[in-house]
Amino acid sequence: MIRFEDVGVRFDDRREPVLRGVDLRVDEGEMVLVVGSTGSGKSTLLRCVNGLVPHFSGGTLSGRITVDGHDTRTHRPRDLADIVGVVGQDPAAAFVTDTVEEELAYGMESLGVTGDVMRRRVEETLDLLGLADVRQRTLRTLSGGQQQRVAIGGVLAAHPRILVLDEPTSALDPVAAEEVLAALTRLVHDLGLTVLLAEHRLERVVQYADRVVVVENGRVRADLPAVAMATSPVSPPVVDLGRLAGWSPLPLSVRDARRAAGPIRLQLAGRSPVRVIKPVTTSGLDTALLSARALVVNRGRRAVLRGIDLELNPGEIVALMGRNGSGKSTLLAAACGQLPARLGSVRTGGLDPASLKPKQLVRHVGLVPQDPGLLLYGETVAGECRAADADMRAAPGTTRAILAHLAPDVEDDTHPRDLSEGQRLALALAVVLAGKPPLVLLDEPTRGLDYGAKSRLVTSLRLLAAERHGVLVATHDVELVAELADRVVVIADGEVVTDGPTDAVLAGSPAFAPQVAKVMHPQPWLTVADVAAALVLPPPLAG
Amino acid sequence: MPNAPHRPVLAVRWRAAATLAATSLVGLVAFLWPFLAQPGSGLSHNTDAPWLFVLLIALLAALVVAELSDGGLDAKTVAVLGVLAAAGGALRVLGAGTAGLEPMFFLLVVAGRVLGRGVGFVLGALAVLVGAFLTGGVGPWAPFQMIAAGWVGFGAGCLPRASGRTERVMLAGYGLVVGLLFGLLMNLWFWPFLASGAPASMGFVPGDPVAANLSRYETFYLATSLGWDLPRGVLTAVLVMVAGRPVLASLRRGTRRAAFGASGTFVAGHGTGG
Amino acid sequence: MTLAIHDYRLPRLLHPAAWWAWAIGLAIAANRTTNPLLLALIVVVAAYVVAARRELGAASPFGAFLRLGLLAITLRVVFQVLLGGGTPGRTVLFTMPEIPLPSGSSGVRLGGPVTLEGVLAATYEGARLAAVLACIGAANTLASPRRLLRYVPATLYEVGTALVVALTYAPQLVDDARRVRVARRLRGHGGRGIRELARLAVPVLDSALERSLNLAASMESRGYGRSVHRDARSRRQATALTLAGLSGVIAGVYGLLDGSPAPLLGLPLLIVGAVAATASLAVGARRDPRSRYRPDPWATPEWLVLGCGAAAGVLVMIAAQRGVPGIVVQTSPATWPILPWAPALGVLLALVPAWLSPLPPLRAAGPVGGLQDVGATS
Repeated sequence: MIRFEDVGVRFDDRREPVLRGVDLRVDEGEMVLVVGSTGSGKSTLLRCVNGLVPHFSGGTLSGRITVDGHDTRTHRPRDLADIVGVVGQDPAAAFVTDTVEEELAYGMESLGVTGDVMRRRVEETLDLLGLADVRQRTLRTLSGGQQQRVAIGGVLAAHPRILVLDEPTSALDPVAAEEVLAALTRLVHDLGLTVLLAEHRLERVVQYADRVVVVENGRVRADLPAVAMATSPVSPPVVDLGRLAGWSPLPLSVRDARRAAGPIRLQLAGRSPVRVIKPVTTSGLDTALLSARALVVNRGRRAVLRGIDLELNPGEIVALMGRNGSGKSTLLAAACGQLPARLGSVRTGGLDPASLKPKQLVRHVGLVPQDPGLLLYGETVAGECRAADADMRAAPGTTRAILAHLAPDVEDDTHPRDLSEGQRLALALAVVLAGKPPLVLLDEPTRGLDYGAKSRLVTSLRLLAAERHGVLVATHDVELVAELADRVVVIADGEVVTDGPTDAVLAGSPAFAPQVAKVMHPQPWLTVADVAAALVLPPPLAG
Repeated sequence: MPNAPHRPVLAVRWRAAATLAATSLVGLVAFLWPFLAQPGSGLSHNTDAPWLFVLLIALLAALVVAELSDGGLDAKTVAVLGVLAAAGGALRVLGAGTAGLEPMFFLLVVAGRVLGRGVGFVLGALAVLVGAFLTGGVGPWAPFQMIAAGWVGFGAGCLPRASGRTERVMLAGYGLVVGLLFGLLMNLWFWPFLASGAPASMGFVPGDPVAANLSRYETFYLATSLGWDLPRGVLTAVLVMVAGRPVLASLRRGTRRAAFGASGTFVAGHGTGG
Repeated sequence: MTLAIHDYRLPRLLHPAAWWAWAIGLAIAANRTTNPLLLALIVVVAAYVVAARRELGAASPFGAFLRLGLLAITLRVVFQVLLGGGTPGRTVLFTMPEIPLPSGSSGVRLGGPVTLEGVLAATYEGARLAAVLACIGAANTLASPRRLLRYVPATLYEVGTALVVALTYAPQLVDDARRVRVARRLRGHGGRGIRELARLAVPVLDSALERSLNLAASMESRGYGRSVHRDARSRRQATALTLAGLSGVIAGVYGLLDGSPAPLLGLPLLIVGAVAATASLAVGARRDPRSRYRPDPWATPEWLVLGCGAAAGVLVMIAAQRGVPGIVVQTSPATWPILPWAPALGVLLALVPAWLSPLPPLRAAGPVGGLQDVGATS
C-alpha cells in the first residue's frame, strides 16, 4: 500500500537531513504506530505519505514514495486526496466551514462528488463517528473530542484508503482522547483502513498497533510492537516496568503486564515506596504561599468555584486534578488575580492578588498558561530573555541563566515559535521565574510534551520546590502527578472532593491510578522509579 | 533579506492590471461625478446616479478580484488572505465605534508592503467585507469602501524598496496621506445623498460649474469630516511607527515559512543513507 | 428534489437570491418617490415581512439599518437648519443667527431664516434614503449575506473561500487577543495604549499565520485546488468579454457625464458593457469540477417572492414615469401629502411573501425546539 524506497528528506534551512535511508513498507489494513522523540522526523515522515513534503513545504526529497501505486513525485497532495486523508493535532485550525455537516461535505465538494452520493456519505460518516446528534451545531461550540472526530469525518468522507494522523490526541484531555481513539480503532476494524498514527501518549495506543516504526535521528526501523518497544527511546511506564523486570514478551498493556507481574509482586510484598517526608510548616494566613478560604468565583453569572478551601506552603508541590470544566483553570486564574473572588478569599503571601498591580503581582505569583506562546512576543530567544529581565526588573541575564538550567539545548537566535513544545514551555517558565515569585502555577504543562521533555520538567519543578518555592500544577496527566506531586487535590463541580498525599489518593482510586499502580495493585507502587529503587536496581533509561 | 519579495505572492497580469485601471477610473468617476458632470448630462438630474454607481462598482470589484485570482490562488494564499482578512475585519469592528478611526489601515499598509500589490488589493476588499459581515450587514457603501481599501493595500505594495527606519517612516507617511484621502473620497460619495435636491449653500448643485461645486464641497468637508480624517491618518501613522517593526518582522517570517510558490525538488537516487 | 419544495407550506429556507431580489425591487420603488406616506408604507411592509419570515436565533441587523435611516433624516434636517438660509419658502419657522463666513467660500451662509418648505424638503429626501436602507436591512436579515457566499461563480471561488475562512476565523482571533491581553498581566504589564497594542499584535499575528499554514496544508490534503481545466478557447472568450465589458462601461459612463445628447452613448452603452462584464464572470465558470452539497432549490416560492418585489418596483417606476400625482410631493406651497392609491397597491403587493412563502425551519419548529448550543462546552 505504502512503500518508501531509500527516501531522504532535506530542508534548506537545516544542516542535517531530516530523514535518511528510509525503507518502509506498509501493507493494506495495517495499523502502524510511529514513535520517536520531538524533532526526530516523525511529522516529516507522515507528511511525506501524501506528498505535503516536498510539494507543500519545500525541501528536497530523494528516493521514491509510492502510495497505492501512485508516485508522490508526480502526484500533488490534492491529487492524492481521495487516497490519503491527513488529520493533524489541532482540529480547529483545519476547519474551513461553520457547521458540522458542511465541514463533512467540504472535502467531497472539492473532489466533485455528485450531490446524492455526498448526501449518503455524510449520513454514513455521521453515524460512523457518532456525530448524528450534533450535525447542525456550529463547530466552535463542540468539545475537543467532538471537533477532532469531525476533523476525522471530514477526511473520511472522501473514502480514502489510508488515514494518516499526526498526534491527534495531544491537545485533548484523557476522556476526549479515549473517544477519539475508540472511534479510530472501530474504523480500522470495520473499514479495513490502513492507518499511520503518531502519538506521544503511547500507553493508549500501542496495544492496538500491528507494527511500530521507531524514528530516531532521521533513521527508521519497523518491528512488531513488543520487539520495537524493547529498544525504543520513548516508552510508556508499562513498558519501562517490563524492561526493568525483564519480562519477555514485553507487555504492552496494563492487562498483559498484570498477568506477568505475579513474581515481582511476590518479591516486593510487604514493602512500600521510600518517600521523603517533607516537614510541614505551620500554616497561617501570612506564611502560606496560597490560601483559599470558602472561595467562590464566577465566570459570567455561573458560579464555577463553590467554596474552595486550599492551602499551599513553601516547598510543596500540589497537583490539581479534575475533569474539564470542573474549575481547575478558574482556580489558577483566581490565584493570580485574573478573576476576583465573589465570596470568600484568596491570598498569596497574605495579599489579595486581584488588588495587586501587575508589577507587584509578578513578585508574588507567576502563571504559565496552557498555551505558553501567549506569554512570548520576542523575535529571538535572546530578545525574549532581555525583555523578560526588563519586565520583571531582574538583573540582566537572569532569565537566560534560568533557561540554560531548564533547557540547555536552546540556541539564542531561534525564534520562540520555532522551538519545540518542551523548549517553549521552558522559556515561558524561565520568563515567569525571572521575577522570583514564591508561588508558581502551571496550567496543563504536559500537553504535547514527549517523555524526555516531561522528565526535564519534573526535575526543574523538584528543584524549585527544594528552593522553597510552592508549585501548583493543574493537570490531567496521572503519570506526571505520580512522579512529581506531594499532595493531590481533586476538584469536581467546583468543590474540593479529595485533598491528601499522593500515594493515598492515587493508589486508592481506579480512575486516577497510574499504570504502575494498576499493574502492581494492591501494592502501593506509583512509578517505575519507586519499584526500581525497591529492587535496588538502577532505573531503566527512560527517554 | 530583501524587503520586498522578488516574486510577489499574487502576480498582477496584464488583464488584471487593465481591469484594475478601468475599475479605478470608474471608481474615481463614481466618487467625483458631482464635479465632472456637465450641465445637461444624464447624471445631473437623475437621483438614481449614486445607486447606479453602487451596482456598477460592485460588479467591477468582483471583476477585478476575479482577474487577480485568475491563475488560481493556491491553498496557502487563500489561507493567509483569509486569516489576515479576519484580522482586518476584526480591527475594523474594533475601530468603528470610535469616531471613524480605522486601525485596519495599519494592517493593510503593512500587509500590502510585505505581500505585494495583488494581495494588498484583495486583502483590502476582503477586510472591508468581513467587517461588514461581522457588524451585521452589507450596505450600499460596501462596494466603494472595498475599492478604496483595496487601493490602500495596492498602493502600499507599490512603494519603493527601503528597509529599517526609512521603510517605517515611508509607510507612516503613506498611512497619513491615505487616511486623509480615504475620508475625502468617502465623503464625496456621501455628499450628494445628503445635500442633493435642496440648494443649500453646502449642497451639491447639479449642473453648476466645477469651481462653485468644489468650493461648496470644501466647506462641507471642513465642517464635517476633517475632524475624523485627521485622527484616522494620524492613528495609522502612529501605529506604523510604534508597532511597525515587530509586525513587519512577524509577517515576513510568516511569509518565509509559508514558502509561497515552493514546489520542492526531487533528487533521484539514494537518500543519503549509508 | 421532491416536488414538495414547490409548496410554500413546507418549512425551509428560501434561496437567498430570492429575498435579495425582492428587497431590491422594493428599494427601487422607494428610490422613485418622495411621498412620505408611500415611503412609510414601504418601511412598514419591509418590517412586517421581516418579522414574519426571519430565522429565529439569528442576528437581526434590521434595527441597525432603521436607526441608520433615522440618522440620515436627522442629519439632512440639521444641515438644512444650519446652512439652508436662502431656500425659497413662504412660512418661516424661526430664524437662526447669521454668521457670515470669510469671503473665500462662495455664497455660503450659516444661519438665516429657516423655512417650513426647506425643512420638509430635507425630511422627504432623508426619508427616501431611510426607506432604501430599510429595504437593504430587510434583505440582510431575511437572507444573511453569508448564505450568498455559497453561490459565487467559480471565477470567484477562491476568494469566496478566503472570505469563508476569514469569517470562521475572526471569532477565534478575538478570543486569542483576549487571552493574550490577560497573559500580559502575568508579565507585569497591564497598561493600555498604543505600545500595548503593538505587543498584543505580535503573538496574535504569529499564531494566526501558523494556523493559516496548518489550514492550508489541510485544505490541500483534502483536494482544494484540483484544477479548473480551462482551455485556450474559453480563456480567449473570457478576455474578449472582459475587454468589451470594460470599454462599454467606460464609454457609457463618459456618455452619462457628458452633456452632448448623442443617443448611443450613455445608459444603453453602460448596460451593454455591464452585461458583457457579467458574462465574462460566468464564462469562466463553465468548466467547474466542484459540486455543491445540498444547494438551496429555486422553485415556485422563490419565483413568487421575486415577482412580488419586482412588481412593486416596476409599478412605482411606471407611476413615476407617468407623473402620477403624489409620487413627487411639492413642497413650495407646503401641503399635506396624500397617498396615491395605484402605487400604494403596488407596494402592498410586496407584502404577499409574508404569508405565501415557506416558514424558516427553526421558526416552524417553535421557540423551544429552536435553541442551539445547549450544553456548549467551556
